[in-house]
Amino acid sequence: MDYGIYQDKLTRIVTDIARSHSLWILAYGTGCGAIEVPATMTSRYDAERLGVRGAATPRQADVLMITGYLTVKTLKRVIRVYEQMQDPKYVIGFGSCAVNGGMYWDSYNTIKQLDLYLPVDVYISGCMPRPEAVLEGFAKLQEQIRAGEARGATKYKDNLDYYRGNQKKIIKNWDFPDYNW
Amino acid sequence: MEGILMSILGAIATFLLAFVVGMTYGGIRRKVIARVQNRYGPPIYQNFIDAFKLFSKTTAVHHGAMHLLGPAFLMVSAVVALMIIPVLRDNIWFTNLNFKGDLIFLIYIMTFGPLGMALGAGQTGNPNSAIGVTRGLSQMVGFEIPWVMALVALMIKYNTTSVVDLMNVQNEVGQWLIFQNPFAFVAAILASLGMFRYAPFNIVGAPTELASGPASENGGKFLFTMMSAGSVFAFVKLTLLVDVFFGGASNLIELVIKTFLLYMIPVMYGVVNPRYRTEQAVTYFWGWPLLFGFLAIIYSVYF
Amino acid sequence: METFLEKIKDRISVNFELDRSSIDVERKRVDVQIKKEQIPSILRYLKENMNFRHLMHASVVDWLEEGKFEVLFMLWTPKEKIRVFVRTKLDRDNPVMENLDMIWPQLNTYEREFKEMYGIEFTGLVAPEEFILEDWEGPPPMRRDFDTEAYAKDVFSERIGREDAQDVRETIAKRSGEVIPDFAKKHSR
Repeated sequence: MDYGIYQDKLTRIVTDIARSHSLWILAYGTGCGAIEVPATMTSRYDAERLGVRGAATPRQADVLMITGYLTVKTLKRVIRVYEQMQDPKYVIGFGSCAVNGGMYWDSYNTIKQLDLYLPVDVYISGCMPRPEAVLEGFAKLQEQIRAGEARGATKYKDNLDYYRGNQKKIIKNWDFPDYNW
Repeated sequence: MEGILMSILGAIATFLLAFVVGMTYGGIRRKVIARVQNRYGPPIYQNFIDAFKLFSKTTAVHHGAMHLLGPAFLMVSAVVALMIIPVLRDNIWFTNLNFKGDLIFLIYIMTFGPLGMALGAGQTGNPNSAIGVTRGLSQMVGFEIPWVMALVALMIKYNTTSVVDLMNVQNEVGQWLIFQNPFAFVAAILASLGMFRYAPFNIVGAPTELASGPASENGGKFLFTMMSAGSVFAFVKLTLLVDVFFGGASNLIELVIKTFLLYMIPVMYGVVNPRYRTEQAVTYFWGWPLLFGFLAIIYSVYF
Repeated sequence: METFLEKIKDRISVNFELDRSSIDVERKRVDVQIKKEQIPSILRYLKENMNFRHLMHASVVDWLEEGKFEVLFMLWTPKEKIRVFVRTKLDRDNPVMENLDMIWPQLNTYEREFKEMYGIEFTGLVAPEEFILEDWEGPPPMRRDFDTEAYAKDVFSERIGREDAQDVRETIAKRSGEVIPDFAKKHSR
């Protein structure tokens, strides 16, 4: 009898549970949404009891939070940060600007569909989302990880041409390496 | 043959004990900090989850051989120190590799790990790492002096350089060394505040200003190794303090109680203090701790 | 106060040929408009001879209907706490001005911004090419004839479900019964 499959499955279940309970976030404070992150982390809402904790650098982080609108200029840096993170990694789009452009829907410099450029696992809607909504977003992400559905990093690698094509379409001066993680 | 097997099993048991106790203490520390900040806090086993997750992450960072070896140096230093220190008195499981002069060797090996890490951090080329290393070495210059003076005072007084001999002295006299030479204990515990690198002495890995310093390029398995080494090292330092000043421990429960109470000193000092700047930290160690170190030596020589 | 403001206005108009001038007693300010050739000398005069040492702000207004750019400098004196607004109008098709950052060094930053956002050229300005916009290839984006909505639709794809987004200006006008003048219809968003 072949135990290998069961062993793999068991390992995956155990690692997924561990990953879901230990989310180190890199709060990329692109817009006004960054102000909700301290409220979520500190004493009233205390995200650390869910295992959510701030990471200092992209190398140590698991979750990239895009908190607010993204201009083209910032997107370039965000892509770079995302590719420096280590697998498995997740992206949370935060606030209505990240969802569909929000109030910047006719701006000449703000992207309106984040998931064209980065694989987003969870969107948190609201302008601004309250800390309760942020915590619910984390809970949703944890559920997805436990169910093995949050495979954004794999998706990004598999469809790299698609994402690169979209990124290069709006970033005119493409001056960083093709694949830098 | 049986003796060798027993030693190997004992070494593994020692390591597992140090790992588990160190990790749990780290979890308790996070809980304590959370409670002081009026939060609920993560569960006590959160550090194990974090460590397992870090271990299960892929590693696609490569900056060169020294960078790969940096966390390994930390681990080697922690494990070697653990193997030298007598964990329990007269126990066949925790016999360890004591020898005459191990106190001097311990002083050396406890600075070896951070030095190796500094070399590894230097190769990453990250400016934050370089600043962190500079700060770490400055701080080490600060706390090593009172620390060495405290131990030297004991060496002069009892004319020995062995941890086991110091433990035996305490048994024979029937009085702990903390009462026989309190100045040495104060100097040592103040130096250990810097050795633990908790606030206010967390200037090396200051996450908000240095992006975790020497660890800033280390994610995944590197960070797992650093975290485990840190936990083992915390256990080593606490056990050494217990052995030298509190007469060691004859069973595990006694050991855990004594080390936990000692561990709460840097933790509690940390939660109520903000971060020092580098020169403030160095001047701190060259103030009262150094004075207590001198007093300890004078006390040992003349009384 | 009124006589004092009048005095300041008179003193300026004696020395310079003004297109237009007025005073606002309530807000303690003097408002003058002048030809662009005289801007360096009037700013220097106000700074050095009349103690308007502080440059509060500089900004540009796009008068699309007149075909002009209005460049505005707001000066302030810390002693009497009076503002002087110095305005000048540039031709919209050929907006060229003299570099002014030797009078106030911080004007360098303002001038870079005007250059990037409105396309106003400053002769003799020494500054890097890019200011805020990175790799921008379109027309200067703050000009009113630049249609940001069309540009955004062209460059960034829209998420499905936002097609019924309403024009804010028109919706508010419809609700309140306000009549939008013809010149404002196209370029006001």
